[in-house]
Amino acid sequence: MAEQHIPKNTHTTPPMRVKVKILRYNPETDKKPHWETYPVEAQPSDRVLDVLNYIKWYVEPSLTFRRSCGHGICGSDAMMIAGRNRLACKALLRDVVKDGGTLTIEPIRGLKVEKDLLTDMEPFFDAYKAIMPYFINESPPPAGERLQSPEQAERMAHSSNCILCACCTTSCPIFWVNGSYLGPAAIVQAHRFIFDSRDEATNQRLNIMNQNTGVWRCRTAYNCTEACPRDIPITTIIEEVKRAVMYQQS
Amino acid sequence: MYRGREGQWAWLLHRLSGLAILAYFLLHVVSISLIMFGEDVYMAVHHTYDLWPFRVGLIFVTAGVVYHALNGLRIMVMDFTGRGVAYQRQMWYGVLGLTLLATAYTAWVNIPRILGGY
Ligand code: HEM
Ligand code: FES
Repeated sequence: MAEQHIPKNTHTTPPMRVKVKILRYNPETDKKPHWETYPVEAQPSDRVLDVLNYIKWYVEPSLTFRRSCGHGICGSDAMMIAGRNRLACKALLRDVVKDGGTLTIEPIRGLKVEKDLLTDMEPFFDAYKAIMPYFINESPPPAGERLQSPEQAERMAHSSNCILCACCTTSCPIFWVNGSYLGPAAIVQAHRFIFDSRDEATNQRLNIMNQNTGVWRCRTAYNCTEACPRDIPITTIIEEVKRAVMYQQS
Repeated sequence: MYRGREGQWAWLLHRLSGLAILAYFLLHVVSISLIMFGEDVYMAVHHTYDLWPFRVGLIFVTAGVVYHALNGLRIMVMDFTGRGVAYQRQMWYGVLGLTLLATAYTAWVNIPRILGGY
């Protein structure tokens, strides 16, 4: 007799019980941030963002955090989850906490906390603006498009993947101590234009990278590379910019 | 504590060892220059360096110098080659291993002398 395979539990893996420990701060009532813990029951395949939404919607409506797309594209929900910077919408519960365990969630570091997990992103975007994040080419445009070979496109393929979530910059120990350092995200963005075969402002861009807030602040701690939710090889990219600056100066 | 991996600890140890070597080096310069005030002053200070805490400290200075020098080479390889970045973890474990060996040898040579009082 042929056995019938009826899969068990197709829809219901047993839920996990976890304690979600969040570093909360309300500028109107608190002098400094404090931990608060929320017991939560959730699926191992839930995202940390789902858990935060659950807490906000059903337990503690004042909990404040940013999110928009929910799909790792807009770069809104970078936070320090289980001790490392990640996007809440890309971190699955089973990857960051064990059943019965405690999951810590803190705001990203090095930026002023405005409320709970929400930080002031202005300094981060100031650093972005400082690298002239726009295409510069004063020569008359050709009749068609400005073409690139596949190899030329490949040079800037990784750096153009950046979604400006700030996971990298706010994981950098140099940035924590020295907020004037432009940071990995700005350098990745600079790389995207420096290694764009169609861009003509390479020298200007390298000069910005050579300033004392620029690429030389990088001490290769690799936290940025490990934090990047887009798997951009950030340290490799920074080292490429360092070498480009060095060869330009020599 | 941020849960960084090898690179973060490599960097922290490099900075701490760099600062430790700098402190040692400054102390060294000041001590040596005491000869300007005559042999008595110089010897008075240098005799205190024979006390065991200083001699044990010297083992740590050796560890710091060896780590800083070897990891400095690791950093240079990373700065100049893409392979260096790809293999930075492996290189760091190599640096730690060699540092441990060198420190163990220094301790093996020095601890009997410290215990023997010469
Ligand atoms: C054995 C010879 C040495 C080598 C090969 C070496 C190598 C290096 C390298 C490559 C760096 C750059 C680190 C980076 O870019 O992240 C560095 C940083 C540094 N070194 Fe050395 N160094 C040596 C000796 C010394 C000595 C004698 C001192 C103390 C007087 C010292 C103190 C420092 C300090 C304070 C830093 C800064 C660390 C940081 O910014 O994190 N180094 N060293
Ligand atoms: S909510 Fe858009 S990246 Fe996570």
